[in-house]
Amino acid sequence: MTSGATATRMNVPWSRFLGRHMTWTIGAGILGLFLAVALAAPLVAPYDPIYQDATVRLAMPSFAHPFGTDNFGRDILSRVIWGTRIDLQIAVIGVVFPFLIGTFIGTVAGFFGGIVDTVFMRLVDIILAFPFLVLMLSIIAILGPGLSSFYIAMALVGWVSYARLIRAQMLVLKSSDYAVAAVSLGFSRARIMFRHLLPNAVAGSIVFSMSDAVLVLLNGAAISYLGLGVQPPVAEWGVMVAEGQSFITSAWWITLFPGLSIIVLAFGFSLLGDGLGEWLGVNE
Amino acid sequence: MSGPVLSIRNLTVKVPIDGETRTLIDAVSLDLARGEILGLVGESGSGKSMICRALVKLLPSPAIAITGGSILLEGRELTAFDEDAMRAVRGVEIGMIFQNPTSHLDPVMRIGDQIAEGIRYHQGLGRDQARLAAVDILGQVGFPHPERQYDSYPHEFSGGMRQRAMIAVALSCNPKILIADEPTTALDVTIQAQILRLLMDLRDKRGLSIILITHDLGIVAQTCDSIAVLRNGQLLEHGPKRRVLADPQHAYTVSLLESHPSTPQEGGSRAIAKVAPQSLARPLLEVDDLVVRFPTPGLGLFSGKKKPVAAVNGVSLRIMPGETVGIVGESGSGKSTLARAILGLTPLTSGHVSFEGSELAQNRRHTLAKLRTEAAMVFQDPYNALNPRLTIGAMLAEVLTVQGNTPLARIPARIGELLDLVELDHAFLNRRPRSMSGGQCQRAGIARALAVNPKLIIADECVAALDVTIQAQIIDLFRDLKTRMNLTLLFISHDLAIVRNLCDRVVVMYRGEIVEEGRCGAVFDSPSHAYTAALISAIPDIDPDKPLPKGDLPPLSEPKAVPDLRGQPLISMHYQQREQRS
Repeated sequence: MTSGATATRMNVPWSRFLGRHMTWTIGAGILGLFLAVALAAPLVAPYDPIYQDATVRLAMPSFAHPFGTDNFGRDILSRVIWGTRIDLQIAVIGVVFPFLIGTFIGTVAGFFGGIVDTVFMRLVDIILAFPFLVLMLSIIAILGPGLSSFYIAMALVGWVSYARLIRAQMLVLKSSDYAVAAVSLGFSRARIMFRHLLPNAVAGSIVFSMSDAVLVLLNGAAISYLGLGVQPPVAEWGVMVAEGQSFITSAWWITLFPGLSIIVLAFGFSLLGDGLGEWLGVNE
Repeated sequence: MSGPVLSIRNLTVKVPIDGETRTLIDAVSLDLARGEILGLVGESGSGKSMICRALVKLLPSPAIAITGGSILLEGRELTAFDEDAMRAVRGVEIGMIFQNPTSHLDPVMRIGDQIAEGIRYHQGLGRDQARLAAVDILGQVGFPHPERQYDSYPHEFSGGMRQRAMIAVALSCNPKILIADEPTTALDVTIQAQILRLLMDLRDKRGLSIILITHDLGIVAQTCDSIAVLRNGQLLEHGPKRRVLADPQHAYTVSLLESHPSTPQEGGSRAIAKVAPQSLARPLLEVDDLVVRFPTPGLGLFSGKKKPVAAVNGVSLRIMPGETVGIVGESGSGKSTLARAILGLTPLTSGHVSFEGSELAQNRRHTLAKLRTEAAMVFQDPYNALNPRLTIGAMLAEVLTVQGNTPLARIPARIGELLDLVELDHAFLNRRPRSMSGGQCQRAGIARALAVNPKLIIADECVAALDVTIQAQIIDLFRDLKTRMNLTLLFISHDLAIVRNLCDRVVVMYRGEIVEEGRCGAVFDSPSHAYTAALISAIPDIDPDKPLPKGDLPPLSEPKAVPDLRGQPLISMHYQQREQRS
C-alpha cells in the first residue's frame, strides 16, 4: 500500500500533501490560473483585442507588446487573454453535453441489455462509421457556422465514446453481488442503475473527459481554422494560429503564443485527469 | 537422518510505514529435514506466506527487507546471495505452487511447454529431450494422457488439473524443496484430497521436502509431519504433528483447534435436539421439480444445434419455518443457481417455487414482492456484495427506507439495533467496505439481510472467503440469530463440516440434482449415496489417525467419474460437451 518512497520522505505535512496529490494540484493550479485570467480579461488585458493599430504591424515582442503584434497591429497578449474566455468555454461545454448524453445512454443500454442495447449500440456504430471531422462539418454546415452549431455538433457526435465506456462498466457491474443484492432487496431499477451502479461506473469516464477536453479544444481550433467556428475578428487561439500561419517564417510570435496556450491548457487538463483517476481509484 | 535441508534462524522481516518500522516476521527459527512435510498454519496476515517469499527473496515490495537472521539451504547462506545467484536457487532448488493455479499459469502457452521451458532453461536440455521429460512429469502428477495433454492450454482443464499442472511446473527442475501456498483452498474437497495425496506420493518417491501453507488444520493433520503455528509474524508453536495436535502448548493453538469445524464433539447432537417441533405446519418454502437451464455459450459449430445446460434439473425441496437446511455439493453442482432461482433472481425454465403458499411462476408479481420483503440473501464475497461507495450506515438506511416498514424517525435507532445484532461496533456506520476486514464486511452483509426483517435467509457460501477463526465467529452469529429471531436459514456451502455443525437437515446436490437428503447426523454418519460417501470421506479430519481415503475415489481423474450415479443423462450430456470441445 505505502511504498518505500513515501516512508522516507520528510514528515512535513504540506510536502506529504503535495507528494500524494502532486499531479492533481498542479493540474488544478493551471486550470485555476486560466479561469482567473478569463474572468479578469478586461482588467489584465493591456489593449483592446480587436483594436487595429496600423503603426505597429508585425512588431516583435517588446515592452509595449510582450507577445508582439499581428499583421493588423493587434496586441497578441490581449488577444490570447481574451481568447482564454472562448477556449475554456469550448473545452467545458464541448465536453459536458456529450458526457451527460453518453453517460445516460450507456447506463441504460448496459443495464437493460437486449433490444435497448442493440438499438443504441448500432446507433453508435453508425456514428463511428463516419470520419469524425466530416460528420462535424456536415452538421455545422446544416446549422450554419458559429460556436453554438459547434456545441450542438459536438453533443450529437461526441457522446459515443462515453456511451461505450459506461456501457462496458455497467455490463460488469450489473452482475456484481451488490447489484444482485439490491434486486433481492426490492430496490427499483432506477435506484439500482443511478444510485448503486453509475457512481461505481463513472470514474473512468470522468478521467477520460479530461483528455477529451483537450481533443475538443483542438477540434474547436480546427473548426475555427476552417472558418466554421469562431468568426473573426473575435480572438480565439485556433483562429489566431490559423491567421498567423502565413507569417510563420517572418513573425513566429503570432502562432507561438496562442499555440503555447493551447498546449499548457491541455497539459493542465491531462494532469487533472491523472490526479482525478488516482483519487477516484480508477487503477485499482 | 542427515541434517536439515533448510534451516532458518531468527529470520526477521521489517517494513517501514509512515516513519515507523513494522515487523512482519519476528525472529522465526525453523528446520526442514529431507522428505519432511512442514505445515505452516495461521490466519491471513500471520506472516506464513511472507516467510516463504523471504526464503526465495521474492518479497512483494522493495521496501520490505530481511533485516536479520539467516537462511541456510544445505549449508549455504541465502541472505548473502545476490539476485543472479538467487535465480539459480528459485525453481531449481526451491519450487513454488500457489493457491490460484489459473492466475499463475500462462493462458496462451501450452501446458507442456510451460513445463519444458523450465527444463530447457535450467537443465539445458534440447527441445525433444525437454518434451520427453515434461511428458514424464505430466504422467507423474496424474495426467491420464500426458502425451496428448502436453499440447493443451490451461483453460481446457478443470481447477484440479490446473493445480496438477502447476505442481508439474514446480517439479520440472527437480527441486529439493517445494513451497505450497494454500494449494487446495480454491478446490472442492474431493479434488483437494487428490492433490494432497499427490503431494504425499511425490514426497515418498522423490524425497522432496515440502512446506505446506494452509489455514485448514484438517489438511495439516492429514499430510504434515510437523506443524508451525504463526500469529502476527511470531512463531507460537513448532513441533511434531501429533504432539502439537494432542497437546498444544499455546492458547492460540488451542483456540485454533477448537474452531476447526470437523472437531467431532458439538454440532450433531445440539442441532438434533431442536428439530422436532411444528412438523404439521405449512412449509415456508416449497420447491417442486425445479429446472433452470442456461443456453450454452459460444457457437454450436460441431453439435448442429445448441444444447442448453441444466444447472438445476428437477429439484424438489420443502423447508419448514424455523428450520436450518444446508445444501452441499461441489462447485458447478447448481447450489447457487438454486438459491437465485428461489429468490426470483434467475428465470425458471420449469417447475414451481412457492413461498408461504404464494407461487412464483403463476403469480410472479405478488410472489416477488413478498420475496423481496420477507427473504434476503447473504453472499460469498463480502467485498463484492457491498457497494464500495456507500458507508455501512448509508447502505442500511437505504434498505430501511426502500422497504418502508420503519418510520423515518426510527431509522437511526433501527440501524443501531442491526449493528448490535451482528455485533459490529457503531463506529462502523461511517466506514466504507474498503477500510473493513472480510469478517466485518460479512457482518455488515448479514445486517443488510436482517434489515428487511426476513423470514428466510439464504446464505450462499457466506464463509468460504473467510479465515477459520472468523468462519467460526460468523457461524456462531448465525446460530445465535437463528434462535433469537426464529429465522429459517438455507445455508449453502461446499464445506460439509460447517453444514454438519450448523444445520438440522442437509441436501446433497450433484450436477443439478439432489442425490441425498435427510437429517444431518443420519446423512453424515451413514450416507446412502456413493457421491455423498465420497464427499464425506474426502474431508481431511483433524485426527491424524483417520487417514484420507485411498480407494473410494477415482484415483487420478476428475470427480465426474464417481461411480454408480442416478444422474445418468446429465453425465452423458457432460461427456458429449467434452467431446465437442476437444
